[in-house]
Amino acid sequence: MPQVKIIAKNFMDMVSSLPAMKLDKLYENAFICEAILRSLPPLAKKYVLQLLYIDVPVSASSLQEWVLVDGASKHRVAVDRLIQLRVFTETVDRKKEATYRLNLMFQMNLRKHVVHGGVLPREPMAANITVRLPSLEELDNYAAQQWECFLLHLINSAEVEVTTKSISPSMMKVFQRGLLSQRDNEGSRLTESGFQFLLMDTNAQLWYIIREYISNSEDRGVDSADLISFLLELSFHVTGEAYNMNTLDEIQRITVKDLADLGLIKLQQGRKDSWFIPTKLATNLSISLSDASSRKQGYVVVETNFRLYAYSTSKLHCEILRLFARVEYQLPNLIVGSITKENLYKAFSNGITADQIISFLQQNAHPRVAEKVPSVPENVTDQIRLWESDLNRVEMTPAHFFDDFPSRDVFEAACDFAREYSSLLWEDSKKMQLIVKTEIYAHMKEFLSHQK
Amino acid sequence: MTPVSSKQYTDDVSLLMVLIDTNPLFWSSTATPFSFSKFLSQVLSFLNSIILLNQLNQVVVIATGFNSCDYIYDSSLGHGNLRAETLLQKLEEFVIKDEELNKQESVDGIGSSLLSGSLSMALCYIQRVFRSGSIHPQPRILCLHGSQDGPGQYVAIMNSIFSAQRSMVPIDSCVIGSQHSAFLQQASYITGGVYLKPQQLEGLFQYLTTVFATDLHSRNFLQLPKPVGVDFRASCFCHKNTIDMGYICSVCLSIFCKHHKKCSTCGSAFGQPQTSVSTSNQKRKAPDS
Repeated sequence: MPQVKIIAKNFMDMVSSLPAMKLDKLYENAFICEAILRSLPPLAKKYVLQLLYIDVPVSASSLQEWVLVDGASKHRVAVDRLIQLRVFTETVDRKKEATYRLNLMFQMNLRKHVVHGGVLPREPMAANITVRLPSLEELDNYAAQQWECFLLHLINSAEVEVTTKSISPSMMKVFQRGLLSQRDNEGSRLTESGFQFLLMDTNAQLWYIIREYISNSEDRGVDSADLISFLLELSFHVTGEAYNMNTLDEIQRITVKDLADLGLIKLQQGRKDSWFIPTKLATNLSISLSDASSRKQGYVVVETNFRLYAYSTSKLHCEILRLFARVEYQLPNLIVGSITKENLYKAFSNGITADQIISFLQQNAHPRVAEKVPSVPENVTDQIRLWESDLNRVEMTPAHFFDDFPSRDVFEAACDFAREYSSLLWEDSKKMQLIVKTEIYAHMKEFLSHQK
Repeated sequence: MTPVSSKQYTDDVSLLMVLIDTNPLFWSSTATPFSFSKFLSQVLSFLNSIILLNQLNQVVVIATGFNSCDYIYDSSLGHGNLRAETLLQKLEEFVIKDEELNKQESVDGIGSSLLSGSLSMALCYIQRVFRSGSIHPQPRILCLHGSQDGPGQYVAIMNSIFSAQRSMVPIDSCVIGSQHSAFLQQASYITGGVYLKPQQLEGLFQYLTTVFATDLHSRNFLQLPKPVGVDFRASCFCHKNTIDMGYICSVCLSIFCKHHKKCSTCGSAFGQPQTSVSTSNQKRKAPDS
């Protein structure tokens, strides 16, 4: 997966960055406790379970005793994470001996869960009230389609007729921030991170959008902690079941409408009631990025002659391919293109790297070629890399330029001095000029002031 | 012991097969330190906590009865959350059925439950999971056993143990009876599982979560109870007695407590025994196949 800086790895990183007060409040919700527990590293989960019914602080050393020498680093990671999420409260006594205790609220909620078993956040509606519910497959298609529409809309593609039940423009602006650069004269254009965003898989894209959505929530007058807790709660609903809208409060109802535009939820209207049906996108929210269970089937075949066949009906796929390839013709279910130097240069200048393109091609390889090793012909991947390195022929070194030396002796001495540090980049003895690396600028200055 | 790798799942996704001893003779005996209902409530909490740990975790419960054994709970069939009611209902049905079988063929009360049967069922289930695709949770078996070993099941149990070893499935054993179980000691020893006989059964839940909730991945980093001593004694094939010393067929390695003219398993003819059995025929290792 192209690793991108712009993404917080998952929900839990966001949660852990919340202020302590809000975090404590979040733990009043049993579902959040559950989601947090599940997001922890295996060892940390085990510690929580082990301390679940222990009411007194446990010393760090007694916890450490369980760990073998090999596991020391894992142990530290686990404990740090627990403290960061305020699941563990750490107290250090006079003898510098650290003791840990589970967060009381967290502990209580988990105990309840363990004794009574998990419950659903809200009961699904009885089947006789709702009209025919979409099948899981239909729901998946709906989610995928909705998400694609949203993405097309997001990149302001010229191809898109307004098919989305458009998200409010102000919301769209929020999502586009960082992905598009707005220029008055030539319209918006994808930025570097925007391109990278398009090449990510759906889960990763979803994270980015949800993150933006949450961080922007305060501006809309919604408490981010409330929003996080609602989203996490949502992920504990059962995919494909209908839930009554009446069970939601005002803010949640607005949120649900936004989420429906993203394809996380399908809204349906009955005669009297209206209800929402979570799709797989919503129920996967609390699962971390590393889980690739939602991997889609690939569609791209690359041939050794740089031609590219994409078996896809999706406009979005076409748009993505257009980022680095020349689309030659489009059939109803097939896009034919070729990877050319010009198109790749365009992509590189937009900040896409060769590795991202190659990993995109590999990850979306059509099942027929995906079995082969390598799934993308080697000559193509090599050439893409070569073209990229073509652009990087100039190497930059930060440097400082000196001239106007008072005498040749001083100039020679300065040259020798720079050579000693092997930082002399260039000299012209006739004009008495020299260039040195930035690192030794301070030394150089000092040296020259002594020469005078 | 390196479990079968499953790359796409996170490291700690487990499939836990829990074998519960429902032998009425054991639970009704006065030596049993605590009641079945207490035991069950602690086990249910433990199962809840396993499911709580990871949404992909799967728990299957098999009841080991006196005459039969059966699946009584499978978390993959429900919504993931443990429904204690369904489990208890199934358990009740199972116990009644088990009792009926008892009336039909009155077995003299040795008081051992059908461990070999439930072990085989657990292994069958695991094999099915293995074959279901390239990604699957990492399986392990946990025996919550109380009744004493039935020497008659020796061969069947050993076979299960070896097939578990072959498919790299650790068998954890938690002995809740008053005596150590030689079968389970061997099972855990051979398959790389944990054998534990809790000192204080009131705290069973704590034992279960501290030791047996540990997923296979974390076991590499943690100090878990080590076997103190393993009872390697075998049962003879002729009278199903547990023996220290006996005769072994040199062809098929069958064990007998007395001298026979012919091996009952493979039919090889034996010669006359020497008056003093000079070599110890104690069976240390069973055939590796």
